[in-house]
Amino acid sequence: MRQFIVILALLLCVTSGALAQQVQPVVHVLGNGMTVLLVPRPGDPNISAGWIARVGSVNEHPGITGVAHLFEHMMFKGTNTIGTIDAAEDRRIIQHLDELRARIRKHEQELLSQQRVGKIDDWRDPEHRTQAHQDLLKKFENALGEQRRLIIKDDFDRIYTSEGGSGMNAGTDYDFTVYFINVPANKLELWFWMESDRLMNPVFREFYSERNVVHEERRLRTDSTPTGLLDEQFDAMFWESSPYSWPVVGWPSDLYGLTREEALEFFDVNYAPNNISAALVGGFDPEEAIALAERYFGRIPRGEHEPEPVRTWEVKQQGEKRMIGYADTNPKVRVRYHGVADGHVDEPALLVLGQLLSGRTGRLFKSLVEEQGIATSVSGGQHGRKWAGYFEIQGTAKQGHSPEEVESSIYAELEKLKTQPVPDDELQKVKNQNAAAEFRRLQSSFGLLLQLLIAEGYRGWETINTTGPELQAVSAEDIRRVANTYFVPEARAVAIYYRNQGSEPEDPRLAGLDDQERQQINMIRQQLAKATAAQLNEMRQQLAQMTGQATQIPEENQDMFQLVVELISKRIEELAGGQE
Amino acid sequence: MTVRGHRQLTLTLIGLLAMATGAIAQQEIVSHPLELSFPELDFQPPNGVALRHALGAGTVAYVVEDHALPLVNISILIRNGEYTVPSMLKPAVANLAGSQMRAGGTASLSPAELDEELDFLAAQVATSIGSTSGRANMNCLVKDLDRCLDMFFEILRQPRYDQERLDLAKSQRLQQMSQRNDDTGGIEQREWKRLLYGDSHFSTHATTEAELNAITRDDLLVYHAYAVHPGNFIFAISGDVQTEEILDQIKARLSDWPTAEIAGSVPSPDVKPQPGLYLVHKEDVNQGRVSIGHLSSVIGNPDRFALQIMNNILGGGGFTSRILSRVRSDEGLAYSAGSVFELGTHYDGSFRAFFQSRSETVAHAARIVIDEINHMRTEKVSDEELTNAKASFIDTFSRNFASAGQIAGLFANLELQGRDIDLVSTYRDEMARVTASDVLRVAQEYLHPDQLVILAVGNIDDILAGDPDNVAFSLEAMASVGNITHIALPDPMTMEYVEH
Repeated sequence: MRQFIVILALLLCVTSGALAQQVQPVVHVLGNGMTVLLVPRPGDPNISAGWIARVGSVNEHPGITGVAHLFEHMMFKGTNTIGTIDAAEDRRIIQHLDELRARIRKHEQELLSQQRVGKIDDWRDPEHRTQAHQDLLKKFENALGEQRRLIIKDDFDRIYTSEGGSGMNAGTDYDFTVYFINVPANKLELWFWMESDRLMNPVFREFYSERNVVHEERRLRTDSTPTGLLDEQFDAMFWESSPYSWPVVGWPSDLYGLTREEALEFFDVNYAPNNISAALVGGFDPEEAIALAERYFGRIPRGEHEPEPVRTWEVKQQGEKRMIGYADTNPKVRVRYHGVADGHVDEPALLVLGQLLSGRTGRLFKSLVEEQGIATSVSGGQHGRKWAGYFEIQGTAKQGHSPEEVESSIYAELEKLKTQPVPDDELQKVKNQNAAAEFRRLQSSFGLLLQLLIAEGYRGWETINTTGPELQAVSAEDIRRVANTYFVPEARAVAIYYRNQGSEPEDPRLAGLDDQERQQINMIRQQLAKATAAQLNEMRQQLAQMTGQATQIPEENQDMFQLVVELISKRIEELAGGQE
Repeated sequence: MTVRGHRQLTLTLIGLLAMATGAIAQQEIVSHPLELSFPELDFQPPNGVALRHALGAGTVAYVVEDHALPLVNISILIRNGEYTVPSMLKPAVANLAGSQMRAGGTASLSPAELDEELDFLAAQVATSIGSTSGRANMNCLVKDLDRCLDMFFEILRQPRYDQERLDLAKSQRLQQMSQRNDDTGGIEQREWKRLLYGDSHFSTHATTEAELNAITRDDLLVYHAYAVHPGNFIFAISGDVQTEEILDQIKARLSDWPTAEIAGSVPSPDVKPQPGLYLVHKEDVNQGRVSIGHLSSVIGNPDRFALQIMNNILGGGGFTSRILSRVRSDEGLAYSAGSVFELGTHYDGSFRAFFQSRSETVAHAARIVIDEINHMRTEKVSDEELTNAKASFIDTFSRNFASAGQIAGLFANLELQGRDIDLVSTYRDEMARVTASDVLRVAQEYLHPDQLVILAVGNIDDILAGDPDNVAFSLEAMASVGNITHIALPDPMTMEYVEH
């Protein structure tokens, strides 16, 4: 064990002075355009291996949303060799299934058009199907049964497992799709065989049952989680023209409609070797790995068309957007600003700014959680995607406080960053953490593999070495400048989540109020939260005036009135530091 | 061949490689991966005995040096937990006493001072006390080791338990408690444990608002003195240290810290689970979460190797296991499905098969899962299944030792569980010895289809209505001896359950 760790140290060169640590993989580019990155750790009994395709949901368009993710599932379904006992017969049945599915789709479209005009409630209800439709479904089931006799179930997975592969999985993101596994150090060739085979000859078996699996995944991650649907709609509201507006998992209607032909078309363009990078970290000989890469990946032909950049840019937002949602969740606020994409010159400053705000000694926690006691958690940060980015802050209100209070205190903290330079030691603290993170990220082979691959998904692996120094170079003036540039109301979208009424006993004082009154109370709370000690006298006068008029308030407004008096009194007490 | 690289070294290296590469690249590619042949992998697990150091008074340390990066990692496993809370204290005190060691400052540093200094040094320190054990972790740059050790030991030995931080932690916990019924996953986990271990066992106790409010700073101090002391510590140390030096540093800091009572044994639950169908209704979800199973066994059971292989084939082995293959790949009824045969450290663990499926198809998927449980008991597994399952344990064994931190942690955990640290040297042979007959025997002995507890959480009306496309399946029919119970969600703050 010791041996491989020591040799690893030789491969990483520590730059003089600063704590930065560089990663220097062996880089090999194949004739077909595929990049292979190698970080050998001699003596390591394992190899972490993977590849990334520079394609994600951002490369989809309406009608086929979710195809990038569904496609990722299909990549585990086998090839001409893996997963079937009779490839030719299997192909024939798949074609037959596609034809049947196309005919079924016509019936479904008929039902969908009936649902559109309100003649039926749910097009999936079997009651509405015609006999011809039912017959086709029956035929489809029968053909599936025929195919099943030829399928070797989950053969791809089985082969890896029987050879000691572990942790095999894949992930689809907005901008990339990544596939990875750990194999014993003596099974490197197996990895090259399996991965090159599925890149060359994938067969999308069980496409239609896998579509249902993805539906279940959507139910699990989005529909059945407390805020999954609201989060999805917040994204859809935030992004106007950008393809980031739809979820990676896809819209439900598209998931029902996707066809195998569409997935194949998507594959041809986006999974060509010139759009892919592979990486290995662990116990292997780089010379052998390059030879294997040439032999296995080298045989895949370059794609006919170069993948095209995303054409549709986000349009400039014209005014603040707000969304109110109800869910089984503690009340919270999300404040999101349009910002910069991965690699933008202002990104390092925004990343450091996010760190200044977050964590136990971050400004937001100290102010909103500890000093003001209005939130139970709050944090924020920069999210640079490939084609656009945003800066988001989220906070959960403490019981008895509203998300609107949390929101206005967040703005107050952002204002400070716009006007006052960050003190040196505070900035240094964040830089020290970033310097230590340069080491921590290298502790695990698998972790390093993912960093290399994901960097390749964006601007290239080199950025894992350049980002550290960029973060160290950020100045207090940079922070002030980017805060002023990006934190402007017209670039902002805000989501407020309230707890579902009825799912939890709410503040009993709100019980007698109607919706309009509740909203007014929230606005008053928000204003009160902004009040400072300088306004104490003014507030006391206002309170005295109000209580003087108490008898003139109509009976039906008394609840509301008493609550407002209570809120103002309490705020005066807080501002006076308990001396009231 | 094109080459991209920033450093001359890389370019030269590639140049040399290119010559050797040509020959291998032209070799034939076999038509199926099973025709590939591989060199032997020579891996021997590290010798735990050589890494183990007794520090006196029951304190043990495992040290694994690793000088690749200038980092030091120290974990302390603490024998103790919610099970040992003295009777005059509320159970939640253990948990708070654990987290507030770090959060509440120390004798010499206010909470804010402690936070700021650790953050400035980019040191990571966390403390917690859970159900049956506690944990304190420190990760720092080696240049700051002395100062970080000082702070780490002051956190452990002289926590300030600052009142304001305690109030904050309590309010955060109250807020978390209010979310107890929000997520079906959390509900499923909680109700499953209650069904298996009953309401009176410490492991299923859910802290109430009243209990939490009643906890004082003094309670934390009392519990801390009782539970956190060197006799209950097992150290796992890794990173850029010299073994003798770091042990001397630790010993110096332990030398005047007297040991109190060593933690006693963990009590077993005193109820037997009642088989039947248990239903928890939650209106707004379109997917049901289902758990099916019963008690399992304990970790010292000599059948554990056969049991692991049995469960791997049934539902533990991912795509190659029967449950996921049938529920997901064949029928598309779930994204996630499988089974866990968890062997308890102190008392019987749980055997649980699980899946999540849209409400209408819950009964169909449950039928498949129960059929597969039965099937394990009636027929021997195939040679291929057995070989694959064994390989998935034996050939991945080395992954447990992938880093110095993992090695130290693995041995420290075995020590905490009171197990033989030499187990790692015989593990692969024991696994290799398991036969298909063994698997059938343990399936018959340890799987009990007549004792199944079936728990479903979701929109129960939709789940019981079933699938109009497939009316053959009924969840109610699967409940053995017709025991069907509706569990109403409790008030999340009082945790009082109302009988239906």
